[in-house]
Amino acid sequence: MSVFSQSFSPCGRFLAAGNNYGEIALFSLSAALSPDASEGSQKPILNFTAHDGPVFSLLSTDTHLLSAGNGEISAWSWAELIKKFIDLMLFFSIFSQDNSLIVGGGDNNIHIMDMETGIFKSVLKGHTDYIHCLCFKEREEEILSGGEDGAVRIWDSRTNRPVHCIEVFKYEECARPQFGKWISCLATDSDWMLCGGGPSLSLWHLRSMSPTSVFPLPGCQREAVFHQDLIMSVGEGPYVSHCLHGGTVKAQIPCTPSSLNTLALNLKNTEHRVMTVGGSSHQIDVFTNFSYRAFSLSF
Amino acid sequence: MLFCLKVKKNNSELHEVRVYNEEVELEDRDPQQDYMLYKDTCADLAKLMAEIQELKSSGAKSVEIEERHRQCSVHFITLKKLNRLAHMRLKKGRDQTHEAKQRVDVLHLQLQNLLYEVMHLQKEISKCLEFKSQHEEIELVSEEEFFQEAPAEISRPHVTRDDNHQLTLARLDWELEQRKRLAEQYKMSLARKEKIQKAIEQKREYLSSLQPGLQNIMQASLPVQEYLSMPFEQMQKQAEVARHLPPPLYVLLVQAAAYGQACDKTLSVNISGDVDEAKALSRRPEDSQEDESDSDAEEEQQNTKRRRATVGVQLEDKRKAMLRRHPLSLCVDLKCKDGSVLHLFFYYLMNLNILTVKTKVSTATDLSGAVSAGELLNSESLLNCLYASDHGKETPNPANRYQFDKVGITTFADYVSDLGHPYVWVQKLGGLQFSSDGAQNVIFALSASHMEKTMKLLRGRLQARLALHKQFSSLEHSIIPVSSECQHLFPAKVVSGLTRWTMMSYQEFTHVLKAGLVCETDLFFMAVVERGTARLLAAVVLNPRYPEVMPLFSLSLHWKGERSGRTEDNLRAMESEVNVFRAELQGPRPGLQLLTNQIQRLCVCLDVYLETESQVCDGSEGPREFPREKMCLRTARGPSRLKPFKYNHPQGFFSHR
Repeated sequence: MSVFSQSFSPCGRFLAAGNNYGEIALFSLSAALSPDASEGSQKPILNFTAHDGPVFSLLSTDTHLLSAGNGEISAWSWAELIKKFIDLMLFFSIFSQDNSLIVGGGDNNIHIMDMETGIFKSVLKGHTDYIHCLCFKEREEEILSGGEDGAVRIWDSRTNRPVHCIEVFKYEECARPQFGKWISCLATDSDWMLCGGGPSLSLWHLRSMSPTSVFPLPGCQREAVFHQDLIMSVGEGPYVSHCLHGGTVKAQIPCTPSSLNTLALNLKNTEHRVMTVGGSSHQIDVFTNFSYRAFSLSF
Repeated sequence: MLFCLKVKKNNSELHEVRVYNEEVELEDRDPQQDYMLYKDTCADLAKLMAEIQELKSSGAKSVEIEERHRQCSVHFITLKKLNRLAHMRLKKGRDQTHEAKQRVDVLHLQLQNLLYEVMHLQKEISKCLEFKSQHEEIELVSEEEFFQEAPAEISRPHVTRDDNHQLTLARLDWELEQRKRLAEQYKMSLARKEKIQKAIEQKREYLSSLQPGLQNIMQASLPVQEYLSMPFEQMQKQAEVARHLPPPLYVLLVQAAAYGQACDKTLSVNISGDVDEAKALSRRPEDSQEDESDSDAEEEQQNTKRRRATVGVQLEDKRKAMLRRHPLSLCVDLKCKDGSVLHLFFYYLMNLNILTVKTKVSTATDLSGAVSAGELLNSESLLNCLYASDHGKETPNPANRYQFDKVGITTFADYVSDLGHPYVWVQKLGGLQFSSDGAQNVIFALSASHMEKTMKLLRGRLQARLALHKQFSSLEHSIIPVSSECQHLFPAKVVSGLTRWTMMSYQEFTHVLKAGLVCETDLFFMAVVERGTARLLAAVVLNPRYPEVMPLFSLSLHWKGERSGRTEDNLRAMESEVNVFRAELQGPRPGLQLLTNQIQRLCVCLDVYLETESQVCDGSEGPREFPREKMCLRTARGPSRLKPFKYNHPQGFFSHR
């Protein structure tokens, strides 16, 4: 079993994880983190089959959990279950902003859908291969997308027009031809952007559109986030890498799965402030203190 | 007085002889007078004596003295006479007394006689009065009945009504009459009985003379029976022997035979063993057990007194006694379509009250040639885990624990190879149920409910093992036997090939992999798949319950370094492709193609892996070792960039799941 995606509930007390068999499991963090936690509290409280294929992406809105499977997006009410069907081939990333859902698809395009009405508002075309990851810059209202073709494209969400296109593999500092050119992770923090995948994980300054630091991490990174002063990333290799903006790798925290696919931080709830990582194992590691693994939930 | 006696002489002269009879004189004289006379005489005598004296002293004349002498003599004579008379009187008196006495005696005697007789008569009378006539012991019919039933000449009512004595006599007569009649009847009945008895004897002889004839007929009919396949003779014989089986074996026999008749014609049951011993056992089962325990106690006592060295031997004997098998055993044969037979021998351990089983497989074709398949048909492990976790190493009867402690047996597993495996399903087939509270009853229903399932499992097990045997022999020759029904699972061209198939031991396996999914009863194999410079090593775990339980593969790839399923996602995906999708891989029922399909799929996945690996790079390296021949939609998908291992038929391309 491999865990591909995670998402915390709006209240922050639950964790939803999606695996390669199309199942979504719901874990109760309050039970798992309580002092008298037992083996049973590390098992899912709810486990259901959401899709035929792997659940590559999960996203939480205020009321719903959105999951992406083979050819469909489903929205599950955190209280009830609701389904919405959209017929597109594959989705790899969903993102929501003011009631519109931004979907990057296997048909090389980005679709923007109005969540209330379920109608697609617009399509952003430009990529030549399927899209791996999406992220959103709130201040400028720009959408960033990274794909298999190795390009990071920046789109303006108001005009739906491409603004920039960065082909990361063309930059020698980052490029790693032995792995390929695909971009599998993207993260932004106002002016900064992290991207990685085939090329090494690198920190970019968006104004100058140039890489400022390249992180010497051996494997391909699959997800990276900014957290306070640190950059945390996961990918091939059984560890979570803590890196500094300067380009040094501060620490590599070991964890159970042999390679990691997803990293999630529960920042909404101060009681259950944890980091969870999942990957090629049925176990999801939970870090209460980000420096070491506390325990594992089993899917 | 004088009497005259007339004496008759020869010359017939009659003489008179005068006899003086003084006695007659006695009657005349008076004793008083005689006494006076005596006194006088004595006085005279005294006087005369005195005179004589005087005269003599005075010298008197002898004439006077003579006179006096004469007088004295006379007086003496008188005295003599008086003496005589006195004597006579005395005698007479005595005689008279005597006579009287005699008379009195006679009378006394008579009196006594009479008295005696009287007493005797009295006794007799009393005896007579006490006499209980036998007739009183005879139960006579009551008077009313008597008067009603008896004919008039016997009952004579006119007489008997008045006279009790006559009545009784009449009743006795009637009784006698009746008894005579009944005696007659009795004799007649006896005679009849004799006749009938004789008739019976005759008929019996006749029947027993038939017996040899019948035997001959039975013998002659045996071929006919076989021809018609109705083995009555056999069944009868079996039923005869079956009476001596212990209850669990009997239940098993009945249920197996019934199942064989009803559902499964290829199942046959036989009884084997020593019937006489079984008969001896069944005759005194409790005695023998008591004897054993008594003799054990005695022996123990004796031993502790004398020699301690033989305690071990005693213990050994006790163990043997405890583990004794019943002399009869059942042999169940399951025949399969291809001619191979699974022989199951069921034994009953009497003291432990459990059943054990030993197996043997006989095949139509010779099964040598597959080295790795040595373990498959091993009779020790053939029936392991027929039901999950039924290893058959320990006795399922909880009471045996206590018995074992007494004789120092720590574990039953030591004796299993000798005595057979006590699987739980065997106990169930014999109707023995060991629930946690130890209640053991021989239950027919339990046996019946398990029979069908167990027989199916047994047959399935045998077939699976035989199929594996065949598959192994071809695997060892590096040929993966894929049947035509399963060809659609794989593309037409598969380049990677199996180069080696060997057995592994449990220890070697644990070096390769530490997982909680395997246990010692599983079978372990190593398969090597090669293509070019790439070598894929697969450690295979085969559960005894194959094909219900899928074999598991653990992969490691030696190509430009070493990668394994632990470290690389794609190999992990290959493992899941081979291990997880049972429904696709098992092929047509009963799913005996599972292992070979898995191995074939492994080869296909290796092909895809190697061919798509070079796609990752930009192609700036030079000629690829493995040119792309497979059609794939996408070569990498998802954050872990998995390869497309799923084969789609009939389009023939590979995609992701």
